[in-house]
Amino acid sequence: MKSEQGYYGQYGGSYIPEILYASQQQVLASFAEARDDPAFLAELHKQWQQYSGRPTPLTHCENLTNHLGGAQIYLKREDLNHSGAHKMNNVIGQGLLVKRMGKKRVIAETGAGQHGIATALVAARLGLECTIYMGAKDVARQYPNVFWMKQLGAKVVPVTTGSQTLKDALDEALRDWSANYEDTHYLIGTACGCAPFPEMVTFFQSVIGQEAREQSLTQIRKLPDRLYACVGGGSNALGLFTPFVDDEVELVGVEAAGKSMALGDHSVRLSHNLGSIGIAQGFATIFLQDDNGQLQSTHSIAAGLDYVGVSPIVAHLTETKRIRMEYANDNETLEACTLLLKKEGIIPALESSHALAMAFKEAPIMAKDQHIIVNLSGRGDKDIFNVAKAFNDAEFEPFLQDYLADYSLDKESVL
Amino acid sequence: MKTLLHDFIQVRAAVYQAPVPMTHVIYGYPTIKESLAWMETLLAQGVDILEIQFPFSDPVADGPTIANACYQALINKPDLSQCLKDIEPLQQAYPNSKILFMSYLNPIYRFGIQAFIDAASKAGISGTIIPDLPIEQADDYKKNCQQYSVTPIWLVTPATPNIRIKKIVEQASDMLYCVSRSGVTGQKEEQKERQKENALLSHSLKPNQTVLAEYIHGIQSYISDTNPMSLAVGFGIRTPEQVQALNGVADVAIVGSALLEAYNDGGIEAGTELVTSLFPYLN
Repeated sequence: MKSEQGYYGQYGGSYIPEILYASQQQVLASFAEARDDPAFLAELHKQWQQYSGRPTPLTHCENLTNHLGGAQIYLKREDLNHSGAHKMNNVIGQGLLVKRMGKKRVIAETGAGQHGIATALVAARLGLECTIYMGAKDVARQYPNVFWMKQLGAKVVPVTTGSQTLKDALDEALRDWSANYEDTHYLIGTACGCAPFPEMVTFFQSVIGQEAREQSLTQIRKLPDRLYACVGGGSNALGLFTPFVDDEVELVGVEAAGKSMALGDHSVRLSHNLGSIGIAQGFATIFLQDDNGQLQSTHSIAAGLDYVGVSPIVAHLTETKRIRMEYANDNETLEACTLLLKKEGIIPALESSHALAMAFKEAPIMAKDQHIIVNLSGRGDKDIFNVAKAFNDAEFEPFLQDYLADYSLDKESVL
Repeated sequence: MKTLLHDFIQVRAAVYQAPVPMTHVIYGYPTIKESLAWMETLLAQGVDILEIQFPFSDPVADGPTIANACYQALINKPDLSQCLKDIEPLQQAYPNSKILFMSYLNPIYRFGIQAFIDAASKAGISGTIIPDLPIEQADDYKKNCQQYSVTPIWLVTPATPNIRIKKIVEQASDMLYCVSRSGVTGQKEEQKERQKENALLSHSLKPNQTVLAEYIHGIQSYISDTNPMSLAVGFGIRTPEQVQALNGVADVAIVGSALLEAYNDGGIEAGTELVTSLFPYLN
């Protein structure tokens, strides 16, 4: 989806500190060249295939379909990417762009750590220096991801300012970029930020929808009737949706309704008119904010959906009624996660489980000859601690205690 | 008729034979009442230009010192309309100083650009600084600034290409904010090493007068006689030597993070002491 001078309707644009002007121009120019360069695209497809395992399958879920008794349910298996999520598509693309620009260092923000790990993986493979900014609260909640980032050679900086979550990690990454623009690329993980990031991330992610479109024509001999994707920043949704945007296919985005509809308990920006237009973090979009234009804190059981803004492309497509935005709360999400585990033997990420929850709600009232595709944007292994806690698993706490006791003993014996 | 900001700065600089002081205070930090008392103290001390920052939740151009103070100030839920109401009596009590307003775009955008510039003008604010509003996106803002006689103050940085400096200078009037180095306001320990190469003004090094002077002269070369403007230098100023290094190079020396650090360490007393040591020629 191409922008008009960086805008999608009234959303998008470039609102960045003056110090970043020249760096942003370089990214704009490099991306404009690269997207039309057959050699770049060939290398991109090669890396997608050989490093990340693309194409990912389109899986027909017969058991679920029979159980729910409505539309035929398919999953686009982005969980089978290297690193276990769609994040890899974009990171490979921007990583190759960094090499093209001749920069030596990448920085990235991460919430749950998925984008941080994907960035650290690609940085290791491409020989780039890597610094990951992560809210101090997220570092504490997602330590296993931090551990892997460090093992991959990345420097992880806990951000202790503001709400100490994703939004503050993004601010801190922008500050680093302002100081080190000469040798550093800011590898934004979602379709947000100043131009060309929303367009560029959508471009790299649209491989999801391109494959799903071809696979639909082969496997179901027509286009699907409806697509579902969760919407945090919006990159997996736009990746699946944009190749279908001119087709008669309904696009459904699902936001995180968290614990309740009280401000601070959810990340519902679009589907309930809780957000309003604002300009921050480099671009114009719908933010959750107060009367004074201060951005507010958000919550979701899925850290990847816990973001105060949304892609300007999603905001625009929602405003023009091309995307229908819905929401699922923490409990509905856990139920959907359980149903997929039990019926199909697939462990979904809690982010993707939001999309599943809405699809499972609507599939039964659709006809049997209708087809829906849900973007399974990531696998759920990473969520083991959160899910075990939410399911109140009786064995998990003793396991953790025993493990900790053993861990200390082993350490002592090593010393 | 208000005195134009440029004329005001030139008169003061001629009197001092040194850079005109510009000091920075965050509205609402640590409380609204205390911040207003601190502003009044600085004005009473004779500071010529007072920059008042209205806090924002995502201050991307500010380093940790100012950013943390902004977050703390937000706990007091500062209101933009009330902030302007609080500034008005300060300006009236100290007509020999100029007040500039700084905030990020979103609080101003949500208030309404026209409504804000109108209210700022009525409050006696001479100029406004919005670090995340580039000139390309600012038609409405510029139009309203002109209509209500408020000076829009644009930033120029060491990374700004010459062709763009020319463009900014052509659209600016009265005063330019020249950022002395890459990065954000204040200093950050882990980034110091990386920043050293780019630093024009670093408190850990001897001020590199030649590089700084070349940078400022480069900007000056684009300023025409028909649209004269004063040059203010900020980012990283914390010692008297750094202020002296600006003598004969720039018209205004901006002190932000260093003043906030002094205030955090020793309150109003330590803050005023720093101002006296940086600008011994005040009063």
